[in-house]
Amino acid sequence: MNRGVRLRLAVAITVVLGLHLTALADLRLAGVRPDAPLLVAITAGLVAGAERGAIVGFAAGVLADLFLPSPFGLSALVYCLVGFGIGSVQSGILRSAWWIPVVTAFTASAAGIVLFAVLGVMVGETEMVGPRLPLIALLVGLMNAALAPAATRLLTWAVRAGTPDRNYAI
Amino acid sequence: MAVYRRPARSRFTLLLLVLTSVTLVTLDYRGAGSGVIEAVKDGARDAFAPVQDASDTVFAPVGNVVGGVLHYGDLEAENERLREENAELRGAALRASDAEREREQLLDLMNLEFVDDIPRVDARVVAVSPSNFELSIEIDRGANDGVVEGMPVVTGAGLVGRIENVSRNRSTVQLLVDDEFSVGIRLTAEGDTGVANGKGVRRAMQVDLVDPGSKLESGQVVVSSGLQQSQFPPGIPVGRITSATSRPNALQQDVKIEPVVDLGRLAFVTVLLWSPR
Repeated sequence: MNRGVRLRLAVAITVVLGLHLTALADLRLAGVRPDAPLLVAITAGLVAGAERGAIVGFAAGVLADLFLPSPFGLSALVYCLVGFGIGSVQSGILRSAWWIPVVTAFTASAAGIVLFAVLGVMVGETEMVGPRLPLIALLVGLMNAALAPAATRLLTWAVRAGTPDRNYAI
Repeated sequence: MAVYRRPARSRFTLLLLVLTSVTLVTLDYRGAGSGVIEAVKDGARDAFAPVQDASDTVFAPVGNVVGGVLHYGDLEAENERLREENAELRGAALRASDAEREREQLLDLMNLEFVDDIPRVDARVVAVSPSNFELSIEIDRGANDGVVEGMPVVTGAGLVGRIENVSRNRSTVQLLVDDEFSVGIRLTAEGDTGVANGKGVRRAMQVDLVDPGSKLESGQVVVSSGLQQSQFPPGIPVGRITSATSRPNALQQDVKIEPVVDLGRLAFVTVLLWSPR
């Protein structure tokens, strides 16, 4: 990863986290809000592959953890696994279809939320797996899917110097 | 012959990141709110505070306009309802003034502190929790204003929650509907007590340890009990009873309450500078 890509990725992560904590803070459906740092991890995996997906996911997770009441490092763990997972499966799919980031964001966000809750229980946050978990996973998936085109555009800009062939038609 | 090493390198990177994350979780767990990680989190919140304030100034008017347009009908109906409620409350306040005086005298006699006498600081709600799993809000007051962990947070209507985390200029308030929140309450004038527990957003609070013989009615307001070693002073309205059922031979009643405070629309709150004795 060259210096330009690193810098642009750092800017992208910071901008998304800033928006997550400010402009997106009141965007709620049934008390559930989108998970923008998780979306960044997913999109990074999709646009830039497994390794960068894991690194971006980890960085976005660590920054998000600074502002979360959950155990520090939990988001970093989940987001880097999700970024890596999406990056690992994305190489075999058609890259130019506009709907791929949307469907991927929905599925991976919902899965990421469930993984976050399950790992949370393992580190003592027992209330995370409750009757609202399916609703939270569904709504985060839907809202992240709606934000996916914008996130894909941002991450594509951030990594284009490294992988110019991975632009999506959005 | 060339060897393709990319997947192995990716897996090694992932392994490093996973190990780092697990180490961070462990450090945080061992620090239990008082370690280096907690200090870093507090520093980050203080550093981000000016950005949050600036964004609030920029985005709040936009959000208000959008909300106003989208919910115009609801706002009109709510305005009407509030006018009626205001008129009723004026009458109730006049009727309650005598009872309030008697209550103050009783609390004096029992050597209990009256809520109105407790020093307080007003605070603005600057953010709701970025988590989908914990119910909290962030306020623009912190240790510099005398706020410490555990202090009760209220509005004019009643209890909002308790201070969960404090940095220099910011505090996190755990809302009373959070799964890990509980408060001792008094249910009736006769002194029947119980413990109200949060059950999550948009779910009624469950009240435990209520005597099966207690006579309870829907709509009845319950207040904090302030019994010995209570986390809250006495007399703060907590919720209204939504259901109270008693099964034969049960050791306690099944009681549910809903908070008196509209937690979805908190703009300003008050921190009572009070700590359990």
